[in-house]
Amino acid sequence: MNPSNEITAHQPVERPMVLLVDDDEVSLLLTAAALRDQGFEITEAGGGDRALAMLAERPVDVVVLDAMMPGRDGFETCRSLRTMPGLEHVPVLMLTGLDDNASITRAFEAGATDFFVKSNQWSLLAGRLRYLLRAARTRQELERSKAKLARAQDLARMGSFDWRRALAGGPGGFVLSLEGLRVFGLPPGYPVSMRELLRMVPALERHGLLRMLRDVLQTASVLAADVSVTVRNGRQRIVHAEAEPEFNEQGHCIGYTGIVQDVTDRRVAEDRIRHLANFDALTGLPNRRQLIWRTERALESARRFGHQAALLMIDIDRFKVINDTLGHAAGDDLLVEVARRLRACVRHSDQVTEGTLESIGARAHRSLEAVGRLGGDEFVALLPEVGDERDAERVAQRMLDSVREPIFVGGQECFVTSSIGVAFFPRDGASVADLLRNSDVAMYSVKSAGRNSMALYTQQLSGRGREKLELESALHKAIERNELVLHYQPKIDVRSARMVGVEALMRWQRGGQLVPPGDFIPLAEETGLIVPLSEWAVREAARQAKAWAVSFGFSDSVAVNLPNRLFERSDLVEHIHQAVSTYGVPHRAIQLEITETGLMRDLQNVIPSLHRLNEIGVEISIDDFGTGYSSLAYLTTLPISEVKIDRSFVRDLGITPQSSAVVTAIIALARSLGLRVVAEGVENLRQMEVLHRLGCGIMQGFLFSRAIPPDDLEVWLKQTVLPRRAPWIGQADVLEANETARQLSQRR
Amino acid sequence: MSPAPKEPESTSDGSAGAPCELDAQSLARLTELDPNGEGRLLQRVLRAYATSLERLMGEFRQARAAEQGTVLRQIAHTLKSSSASIGALQLAALCAELEQRLHECFDVNNSGILDSLELEAARVAVAVHAMLQT
Repeated sequence: MNPSNEITAHQPVERPMVLLVDDDEVSLLLTAAALRDQGFEITEAGGGDRALAMLAERPVDVVVLDAMMPGRDGFETCRSLRTMPGLEHVPVLMLTGLDDNASITRAFEAGATDFFVKSNQWSLLAGRLRYLLRAARTRQELERSKAKLARAQDLARMGSFDWRRALAGGPGGFVLSLEGLRVFGLPPGYPVSMRELLRMVPALERHGLLRMLRDVLQTASVLAADVSVTVRNGRQRIVHAEAEPEFNEQGHCIGYTGIVQDVTDRRVAEDRIRHLANFDALTGLPNRRQLIWRTERALESARRFGHQAALLMIDIDRFKVINDTLGHAAGDDLLVEVARRLRACVRHSDQVTEGTLESIGARAHRSLEAVGRLGGDEFVALLPEVGDERDAERVAQRMLDSVREPIFVGGQECFVTSSIGVAFFPRDGASVADLLRNSDVAMYSVKSAGRNSMALYTQQLSGRGREKLELESALHKAIERNELVLHYQPKIDVRSARMVGVEALMRWQRGGQLVPPGDFIPLAEETGLIVPLSEWAVREAARQAKAWAVSFGFSDSVAVNLPNRLFERSDLVEHIHQAVSTYGVPHRAIQLEITETGLMRDLQNVIPSLHRLNEIGVEISIDDFGTGYSSLAYLTTLPISEVKIDRSFVRDLGITPQSSAVVTAIIALARSLGLRVVAEGVENLRQMEVLHRLGCGIMQGFLFSRAIPPDDLEVWLKQTVLPRRAPWIGQADVLEANETARQLSQRR
Repeated sequence: MSPAPKEPESTSDGSAGAPCELDAQSLARLTELDPNGEGRLLQRVLRAYATSLERLMGEFRQARAAEQGTVLRQIAHTLKSSSASIGALQLAALCAELEQRLHECFDVNNSGILDSLELEAARVAVAVHAMLQT
């Protein structure tokens, strides 16, 4: 390839440029005239030296050289011009005498393209020149496309090879193109042999490759293979080889021609894509998709060989709390570390693809063993072959122990635990979906039972577990979707027939239905969702207190039920402070109710909170009082303001003598401690009358009002309480009168 | 493929100084190259030939005197093809014969071919000049 050839090759040669070289002026004149007439552009030179000088200045399309010239003759001139850059391939026509065979031979030896016997047949000369030019153009085009091909091959890191079989005593041969040599990191002209190339293949793969090559050769079939090689500079490359057999006239395969291509980059990209599709970006573990694929393969093997497989569902306990407290970055670090530990508990192998699986053979399914991440803090371990339950239990136990070790994240030591559920194939499910679900159910039972443990799936777990699972996921979304509402039940001072406060009760509007608290509060407690739920309730209560204060001068308190675990939280006081500040109501607008059982279960941890709450003006009420086993000694020291008599005693008032005895005792106790007493579940006038007689004046119950939406409460106050229209108000008046009479008679 | 050279004797015994005829067919070919005579090609070729012939024959006589065979051969070669072109076929034939003999290292000094060639060249020169006059 040279510039002049490039130009002439690109531009259609309309008037080809001819350099005529002849010492004889007459010849020059005539030849020039003849060729001009035939559409050639002519320049003339009277001798060899002059011709070379002109060619150095300006290249031409074809040179017509007189062989016999004084000084530098045609042969010498031709030989010289061939050494000049750009003129290696320019067509040179040597003019010789009619009978000059020796000159013809010499002409070719000197590098002439063709010869022409001098004559006055001018049209013949023009025809010959045209032929020469066309041949030269074709040659240039071939050169160019060859160069292009070479360049394309170079860009594609591709080269060609040719291999001849050693047949009938003849020597075989292997030729690799320049570009091909480059693929293997070999210098141009390197005398490479097939044997040497094969030595570049790692020993492990070489055996398989040789076997494959033998097979291909035996059947004279097409070769197509990707081969790993360690090339000259020590780099690992993947070379794709593709070749077709060539046959002789007798139909025998005499060799192969084909290409080799460095496909490393493509492979790396493909691997990366495959990795992204199958592995979790954070932990590097197989993702859900890959796990399901592996499990499917594992179940196929288990079915074929008749063994058990196990799926372990692993969930980090209270991960959300960790994430919220330490931040997401620390949460991610924690997941990475947990992933690493879980992975170390199994014979995890990363690289499993369809291809390798088949090649490893009968025990291939063992390579499927892995820990994967389903998402969030959920991990799954696949044990493709387990002898019995204990195998899986051992792995689960290793995992529990491993996760329990302190983890250093977010600048501090963390202690996390996990819950693991195990399901077995085929006992607990025949499909991946069944096994995933049932291991999840089993994991769930661990969470309910207090976490940090493992459980095997059983049939009994299933019904309950599935329903719960559904409910939990719905409850998770309830807060985001504003499906939770507070309803309010008034606390009534029957003596004055006034409302003296309200109790807020949580309701869940789930798909147009109102879910009663009994159906979701226990689940919320189990799952820890009770924390965000309660926090929401406090905020909402504060907001409502403000709304009512504005609309009708409400200045009492809204009682919110809190589970004891919330009292354990150091940020409860802060949280309540924030809620009331946000809405601009006093701290006493919020009252907190804690059940007697809840209080007593964890008294030591709850007491500090109660004191702090009390200090800022938040009153504490003991709910369901009388049902637990309160230590009276403690009760005297607790910073509480109110006890609420449990509805079970109220219900039996006037029916069993024991209930009125209990109520009497509670009232007496409360009085002596200076506590307010509230009776819950008052449903009729008789109960109201008895309670009043026993000394309890503040009541709650259907007799007065159910728990109703805030707007309804306002309406109820306006239409029932203020106009003094309800039957219990009349009764209350009577009671009031009786009381006055009783007091008067006592004085007498 | 090379036809036998013309009999040298037959050319050498022509009368000295008598003008010869230029081959009409050869001249016709020349004319074909410039059919309308616009390029005055024939005149230019003949003039170039005449100049070249005069120069070459001068060199020829010097080389002959100095017995420089190579130079003689070169001159014969050049003169051979140009003479053929303008139709001086006899002279072209003599040139070809001389070239061949020199190539084969014959002694040409006593063969009379040199004289014949000089004589024929002189006749051709006269003919060419005559044509240029017309």
